[in-house]
Amino acid sequence: MRPQHWLYTIPLRLRSLFRRRRVEQELNEELQFHLEQKIEQGIANGLSPKEARYAAMRAMDGLEQRKQEMREVQRIHWLTDFVDDVHYAIRSLRRTSGLAAFVVVTLALGIGMTAAPFSMVDALILRPRPVPHPSNVVTLVSTTHDSSFDGFSYREYLDIRGKTKSYDGVIASGDLGAVGFSAEPGATPRIKGGMLVSGNYFHVLGVEPQLGRGFRQNEDEVPGRDAVVVLGPDFWKHEFASDPGVVGRTIRLNGTDFTVIGVAPETFTGMRIWWHPDFYMPLAMAQMFSTNPQKSFLEDRDDRELNVQARLKRSATLQQARSELAVLANDFEREYPKFNRSRGAAVRTDFEMRTRGDDGNWKFIVVFVILSLAVLLVACTNVAGLLLSRARTRMREIALRLALGAGRFRLIRLLLTESLILSCLGGLGGIAVGYGAIKFLGTFSIPSELPVTIPFRLDTRVLMASLALSVLSAFLCGLAPALQGIRVDLVNGLKSADADVPGRKRLWGRNVLVVAQVSTSLMLLTASFLMARGFQHNLLEGIGFAKDHLLMASFDPRLVQYNEAQTEQFYKLLAERVRVTPGVQSAALMQNPPLALEAFEGVAFVPDGFQMPRDRENFYATMDLIDEGYFGTMGIPILRGRAILASDTAEAPRVAVVNEQFAKHYWPDSDALGKRIRLYNRAGTPVEIVGVAQTIKYRTPGERPMDFLYMPLAQHPVARMVLLMRSTGDPLQLVKPVKDIVRTLDPNMPMLRTRTYEDLYRYNAVEGPRIAIEMVGTMGAVGLLLAIAGLYGLVAYNVSRRTREIGIRMALGAASSDVLRLVMGKGLVLVGMGTVIGLAMGFAVEQLMNSMLFNAGGVDVLAYIIVVPSLFLVTMLAAYVPARRASRIVPTQALRYE
Amino acid sequence: MSKPPDLVQGTLDLLLLKILALQPMNGWAISLRLKQLSGDVLQVSDGSLYPALHKLEQEGWITAEWKQTENNRRAKFYSLNRLGRQHLEKETANWSRLSTAISHVVRLEEA
Repeated sequence: MRPQHWLYTIPLRLRSLFRRRRVEQELNEELQFHLEQKIEQGIANGLSPKEARYAAMRAMDGLEQRKQEMREVQRIHWLTDFVDDVHYAIRSLRRTSGLAAFVVVTLALGIGMTAAPFSMVDALILRPRPVPHPSNVVTLVSTTHDSSFDGFSYREYLDIRGKTKSYDGVIASGDLGAVGFSAEPGATPRIKGGMLVSGNYFHVLGVEPQLGRGFRQNEDEVPGRDAVVVLGPDFWKHEFASDPGVVGRTIRLNGTDFTVIGVAPETFTGMRIWWHPDFYMPLAMAQMFSTNPQKSFLEDRDDRELNVQARLKRSATLQQARSELAVLANDFEREYPKFNRSRGAAVRTDFEMRTRGDDGNWKFIVVFVILSLAVLLVACTNVAGLLLSRARTRMREIALRLALGAGRFRLIRLLLTESLILSCLGGLGGIAVGYGAIKFLGTFSIPSELPVTIPFRLDTRVLMASLALSVLSAFLCGLAPALQGIRVDLVNGLKSADADVPGRKRLWGRNVLVVAQVSTSLMLLTASFLMARGFQHNLLEGIGFAKDHLLMASFDPRLVQYNEAQTEQFYKLLAERVRVTPGVQSAALMQNPPLALEAFEGVAFVPDGFQMPRDRENFYATMDLIDEGYFGTMGIPILRGRAILASDTAEAPRVAVVNEQFAKHYWPDSDALGKRIRLYNRAGTPVEIVGVAQTIKYRTPGERPMDFLYMPLAQHPVARMVLLMRSTGDPLQLVKPVKDIVRTLDPNMPMLRTRTYEDLYRYNAVEGPRIAIEMVGTMGAVGLLLAIAGLYGLVAYNVSRRTREIGIRMALGAASSDVLRLVMGKGLVLVGMGTVIGLAMGFAVEQLMNSMLFNAGGVDVLAYIIVVPSLFLVTMLAAYVPARRASRIVPTQALRYE
Repeated sequence: MSKPPDLVQGTLDLLLLKILALQPMNGWAISLRLKQLSGDVLQVSDGSLYPALHKLEQEGWITAEWKQTENNRRAKFYSLNRLGRQHLEKETANWSRLSTAISHVVRLEEA
């Protein structure tokens, strides 16, 4: 229909809808007018008034049918019927309020269980970035054999920006992990996190600052010239109390004064999921935040720290952009063989970035969603079972309606309306449950210096999903009972109060439901058990070093504007003085401790004498920079050779200690000791391997053994370091003496992240898994509870239906044990079938979890030995209670039942 | 039976639109005019007239209005609106094309 049409039709529809009585009255009046005219004409033609009236009515062909026809052309009857259905359904549900309440609670649990996982999927995978037309924004990545998600260097970024034509703009950003911020020049700096962005960042993303302005293109051109900063909305709110006069003010970042030129809008919380940057500054200011003074970020083609994104032109396809970038990567390789050999580039969509293979979070959440949907399925089958038994008791009512001429489709609609109301109420309850679950997720605190944003929230998107699930479950729960309800045999249905068609067909549906419930909850329990065992196994396997009696603190002398010599001096004095402090057994400086939040740096190298594959220039391994106290303090055994020593100074020959995994990897048949590797490429600095250390856990307690490399700090100085001290007593007692030492060295030096190592370990390695186990365990428990209720309901229902039959059997001499066997037998068969199917599903889930979450292979027999019999016992108990009641039926009463 | 079987589907709509194109009318007057115009060839019962009128109204081709009749009684008057006029033109063109074609075919068979 054309839009101009709606001008006429919409008011008419609205009128029919909201002025129903008026419309009906006009309809009557119109016909009345016609009839009166016709009668008058008839009388004028010589008929008697009575005859004239009959003739007029006859000409109408059935007045009421005509009226109905006229109502139907209003095309709103589907809606008015629905309103009628709702009224009726509410009345009928109120008659059975107990059952209705049970159904609502069951659905609330089922739907609520899905809200939290969906909010996680939404946050991590689905929720669009907070910019206009987010789907046009793609990420450009540099790729090698070892990684498909590398960043680009500044020079590469400039080339990409200049030479590509598929984009409306190419932007680059780099994280500034920890920056010392002070609002006033004199104040002690606090740690904040910001982003270095290209001058076109806000413009290309389509983000308009709410105050002041964004960057000008020329503010990103001259290194170190334009000290301007745009504040993030949260930062502005918390640090400046949303002061509109902030534009033009000066703030101090790592000792440099920056002028605030704008504030990003409320909606723009940044392009990151877990982190909202506090401020943005031009890339040209990068040098003063450099973590590695030997690298020149703006010049080095291989300093790939930038996240490059671009907005695809409307006229360009992703395919075009991909081939364009591939050509450019080839050019790079030809022009800069030193930096870009066997290095490609790829365009990735936001979805591809979020579901990258090297990130375990989203995989866990996908498993989580599958499990929560299984709980919802159990809830739905349970409700379907309840509604089925309800439909049976209403068989007579339905038979009567059918006999009076109700359409079967119309009746299905009525019954579905009832389940729709139930599931909407359930959905509301579910939202409350989900709200609680998401709140619980929000309480999980991550011990990072920078505030980590928990992105899970109950927003409209999650609400809509819950609502959609409610409607879906209404159909799942309601359709089977509705279909069965209208299949009623009219004659039988009207004749007896307890219409039961002989045969098994009727119960078939319910039996399937029970089997589905038992098997699904078995799967859920297995999953939660496996998850608990998997994490426990990871923890039990050990991390390879002693985590107790360790205190840690981090320092970053750049926060107080130390130069390299001052930094070196500071760390030297700090280590010396800490080591002689009473209570300190040993102390070590390192770039990163193992199992912490910060990622280790990677290093490219070529092992000497190793036959490199033809297509690669070098290998990558993760590494740490350490001092001579490291291995002793951490308690990591040196298997062969020696540890890093104090004599490995900047002037001494370059050395490294590798872990056993590394040694076995590259020199499987000979000793790695004395072998050399070259850093970066074949022509790089030679480094001798002087020791082999035991392999420990580096990133997560569940990781596979990985290659790892240690090099002396003295030969590769960095500014930001972690001091780890092994104490003889309580490690926290060292806090004060260490603070005193730092204060005597420099009263302005901030001491960051002072905590026991065990504390850090608990958060990183134990808390996350604990929450996961708790959530999956809750799901398993809820699933089991629902399955028990379902089985109990089925058996109880069977007993009540067969009361008379059982009475007859007992009157004829059956013992109560016979009855018990009769009733239990059925439940046993169902539980047995459910168990078998559940086992199969459990194996499937185990495979899935093994491949996605844990490195363990094979089948965890213990899980099944514990889960299967306990489930079997509990469900049999659910069947036993009503069965026992059946066996106590008194025949004389039972036969008088009706 | 709401429509005589020989009244081709859609023809009643066309007739009603055509009648209303001349002047606004109430249902009763339309029924008289139908009889008068088509003689006894096209039998349109009173019963099928009103649903058809309401359908046209809901489709947006004709607009209804309550007005006084000549002898001062309230009645619902229907009139053709702009969209209805366009629709009528289109339908009329369709109709003549169709009837020409059909009579052509019929004559062919006779020859």
